[in-house]
Amino acid sequence: MAAYVCMRFPFMGTSNCAATRPKFPATEPALHNFDTSYSKQLWDLLPSIRVAMLCEQKYGALINSFSSAPNVITELEAQGCKDFISIYCTRNEVHQSSQDSTTSHRDSTELEPAALRPSISPDIKCLVFPKGDISRFKPARPDSSGILGYYLLDAASVLPVLALDIQPGHTVLDLCAAPGGKTLALLQTHSVNYLWANDLSGSRTMRLRRTLQSYLPKEFLDENKIHITSTDGRQLGMTEKKSFDRVLVDVPCTTDRHSAMVEENNVFKRSRTKERQKLPLLQTQLLLSGIQATRRGGNVVYSTCSLSQLQNECVVQQAISLAQQELGITVQVQDLGWFAQRFSDTFHFAPQLSVGELVLPHLCANFGPIYMCKLQRMN
Amino acid sequence: MFNHCYIATVRNLAICHLMLRWMWGWSVCPVAVSRGHMPFCSTHQANPSHSGQVTHRPGNQLTLCSLLEMGFSETQAKEMHEGATKSRGKHVPSVLTALLLLGLNPSSILKIMQKCPEVYSLKGADLQQRIDHLRKMGLIEGSLQRMISHYPKVMLLPVKRVNMVPRLLREKCLFTIHQVTDILRDSPEVLEEDLAQLEYKFQYVYFRMGVRQPEMVKAKLFRLPLSELRCRHCFLERRGLYQTPDKKGQTLILNPPLKDVLCVSEETYLTQVAMATAEEFHVFRKLMAREQEEKGREDEYSSDEDEEDKDDDDDDNGLHRRKCHWNTGYKKDRK
Repeated sequence: MAAYVCMRFPFMGTSNCAATRPKFPATEPALHNFDTSYSKQLWDLLPSIRVAMLCEQKYGALINSFSSAPNVITELEAQGCKDFISIYCTRNEVHQSSQDSTTSHRDSTELEPAALRPSISPDIKCLVFPKGDISRFKPARPDSSGILGYYLLDAASVLPVLALDIQPGHTVLDLCAAPGGKTLALLQTHSVNYLWANDLSGSRTMRLRRTLQSYLPKEFLDENKIHITSTDGRQLGMTEKKSFDRVLVDVPCTTDRHSAMVEENNVFKRSRTKERQKLPLLQTQLLLSGIQATRRGGNVVYSTCSLSQLQNECVVQQAISLAQQELGITVQVQDLGWFAQRFSDTFHFAPQLSVGELVLPHLCANFGPIYMCKLQRMN
Repeated sequence: MFNHCYIATVRNLAICHLMLRWMWGWSVCPVAVSRGHMPFCSTHQANPSHSGQVTHRPGNQLTLCSLLEMGFSETQAKEMHEGATKSRGKHVPSVLTALLLLGLNPSSILKIMQKCPEVYSLKGADLQQRIDHLRKMGLIEGSLQRMISHYPKVMLLPVKRVNMVPRLLREKCLFTIHQVTDILRDSPEVLEEDLAQLEYKFQYVYFRMGVRQPEMVKAKLFRLPLSELRCRHCFLERRGLYQTPDKKGQTLILNPPLKDVLCVSEETYLTQVAMATAEEFHVFRKLMAREQEEKGREDEYSSDEDEEDKDDDDDDNGLHRRKCHWNTGYKKDRK
């Protein structure tokens, strides 16, 4: 019956199919991987995450305070968006007086107890449309010097930068910086004394440079302030031991959302299988390198845009134990539960991870996936 | 006319008889002038005695009196009369005859006219022809009356137009005659639908959802607009709860039956089938609407280029060719 019906339909079996469509798209194994690998860890939440990842994602507008254009924020606010960060800064101040351990804190508050409270930089501003609002941002316009007013990115990408907690005068290492969204967010704190932005790939580093050129006035692109390199991040730990106050390790990963939707250069292509399988190892090595480059008492934030436990919690735990065993470095996980709680109105966080926090895609808040974990070097 | 009187109650026969006489120009008003009752029939006014005076009256004018004869109450008759006058229909009495002959009672007829005042403007003969045609299509008594009562618009459709739909359903979609009748009975609005859209809807369910004709009929597929069908299906599909069957008709999961997806309220669909919140679904609907709108625009401009398929990623390779027809299919094909 089916075959008979098939023949009847005029456009079945014609060669209408474009030659550009690949025969075995990689988005399918990406989804298949999603369906099989994540079902155990995310069971109930899986359908909601899946549908969100297969729909258009939500963006945030990271405000570029280096732009001289007036009214960038007011214009955006007029369209209905709000800065998801500053709302919570204000809320935080209100609660300062009644600050107590509302949840069990496993972190080391002994070092800098006061700093924990206002440790969300008010200078980073990221505007988003309200929950359930699917409006899109218009592209940013250049000001009189050609500097763009804002950078569009997944708003959840700003969270690892916020968690890093950059204080004035800090030296910062961004180990896998390209294409530069998080790098730009780091610079918005106006607290970075010296930034080293690195990426392995030459082409991606070029892209990073172009991004910074579009967003920073020439005087800020001084080599003494911003050092851009294109090397293997795994080496930097050894050459730059204990050099940085803050290190961001935003590793290459399976970019789950991107892989489920975009065919081009998909990491689930057959030709990239080995590369993909070696990812957790690469990620662990990068994190170790980042730890090595951190000074005593400094912070490292590890982040990915994958849901995979193998690339997230497992990497962190492996890196922590290797750091201890192989390098004699003690790092302690900094609890980000309070952090997640603060932003729970804007993002959907996964409940109860063994270590770190995970922003889950959800149709009403279609950001992420973003995993992050904060570590502090103790010795 | 009498040959078509399947449901011939005594009352209806009496009314028919009266109407025939009246339409032939004779007028006898059987309405008794009760005490205190305001007569609004001109025959009374002209001649207070109701012994039956015969006067000629043009057969195409509807009078309140005749409406009362047909069984309408005073209020109903007033409303009918108003509607008829407003419509400036020239053949209202014959239209009403046709409806009465169907066995519809005055209340139903009034409702029909309220729903679809355009019926007033029809010609009685045309209407009768259309009703006969619907009968020929297999709508038996009961179904026919129900269809006309629920969907009076069907009477406005010319026979030729009405014919196209069952033809498409039989010849292109391969529904059996029996199934076609069921579809017409359950979803008479299908008769008004754009033929290309109709075919597309069928193919969507057949190929994309892997559902066959009997299930389609059971699920009253044609009641739902394409956008809602697509919305409910894609929501499930992207949630991982519905899969397009492969070449062998197999899926890795058990797809919910079509009627469980389409025939239930949104609330039931969300709690029982999709297991999602209403908020999620409403955001999804907005996103889908935008996707479809943008896809439509792309289709108009692109020639043979296939755009990124963001819809469904769960097919196996065999269906891939078919799937790409989906996304570029209709508009291109019709050029």
